[in-house]
Amino acid sequence: MLGEFEYVLMTAAAGLGESAYGAAIREEIEKVAGRSCSIGALYTTIERLEKKGLLKTWMGEATAQRGGRAKRMVRVTPKGMHAAKEFYEAMMRVSRNASWATGKPERAS
Amino acid sequence: MSSLAEMATTFLAPRDRDAVLGDLAETGASGWSALRSVMGLVVRQQMEFWRAWQPWVASSAAFAGSLLLLGVSFGLSVDSRHLLRGERGYGSVLCEALLMLSWAWTSGFAVGSLSGKTPWVSGMLCAIPCLSCVLRFQDTSLSRLCVLLFLLPGVVGAVQGVRRARLSHRTALTLAIAMTALMLVWGGMYMRNWFLFLPAWWLVAHAERSELSNEKLGA
Repeated sequence: MLGEFEYVLMTAAAGLGESAYGAAIREEIEKVAGRSCSIGALYTTIERLEKKGLLKTWMGEATAQRGGRAKRMVRVTPKGMHAAKEFYEAMMRVSRNASWATGKPERAS
Repeated sequence: MSSLAEMATTFLAPRDRDAVLGDLAETGASGWSALRSVMGLVVRQQMEFWRAWQPWVASSAAFAGSLLLLGVSFGLSVDSRHLLRGERGYGSVLCEALLMLSWAWTSGFAVGSLSGKTPWVSGMLCAIPCLSCVLRFQDTSLSRLCVLLFLLPGVVGAVQGVRRARLSHRTALTLAIAMTALMLVWGGMYMRNWFLFLPAWWLVAHAERSELSNEKLGA
């Protein structure tokens, strides 16, 4: 099963679609998940997910904004989509009785 | 972006270097922040390599192999001296020299092919016993460097192992059988020497496994 950060990264990449690359994914994670994301965590996780066949990466275009450097583009593979869906459904199942998921007040212990 | 951060990216693969430097330029990271980001990635990548079993086996093999081959090199040097004095036959010393070369090369090749992205650690672990042995060497009739005879074939093997990763099954098997036959002819059947065959036979097993998995992929 995926780790939490792996899932967050794959979800951000899937959401960005064709424009998913290192800096954009990092920005998306920081904006949406509200957590900081280091370049180290980002690229080592991308590398690991690519080895597992869950992501595909390739070198994209170089822009002047990037000092003429190429982007490392990222795409979630069908296998990755399946793994992310499994993770999502497991989280939904495991959360179904939790007060923050049901909206009911928490029982006193 | 700081030139220090740019320098630090030399530890990264070319593809990562371009992507990371581009990302840093795009986000406007500079100075220490850029350097910290790059170093963070370098450290994480190194740690990631060590999550696999191969670098651990390669490092242990480099250390143990170096210890054993120091003894073999010393033995060969002593026997060569005996040969010059006429106390040993050419055949026996030639067998010993060929075995030392092949043990060193196969050990180096196996360590190199297993090390992958951590060859420097394996190299350091091989160098520690060598340095220690050279510094403590006390036989005045022989050069201190005689214990390092295995280093050249070992390093050549390691470099080839890093580049090629595996031998063909036929080559590996021929080499291992020839080495074993040479050992039987020579007769130095000590436990230490049998241990030195492990890399050669591991290369055979590794080549066979790789060829089988290639056949499965091709089928």
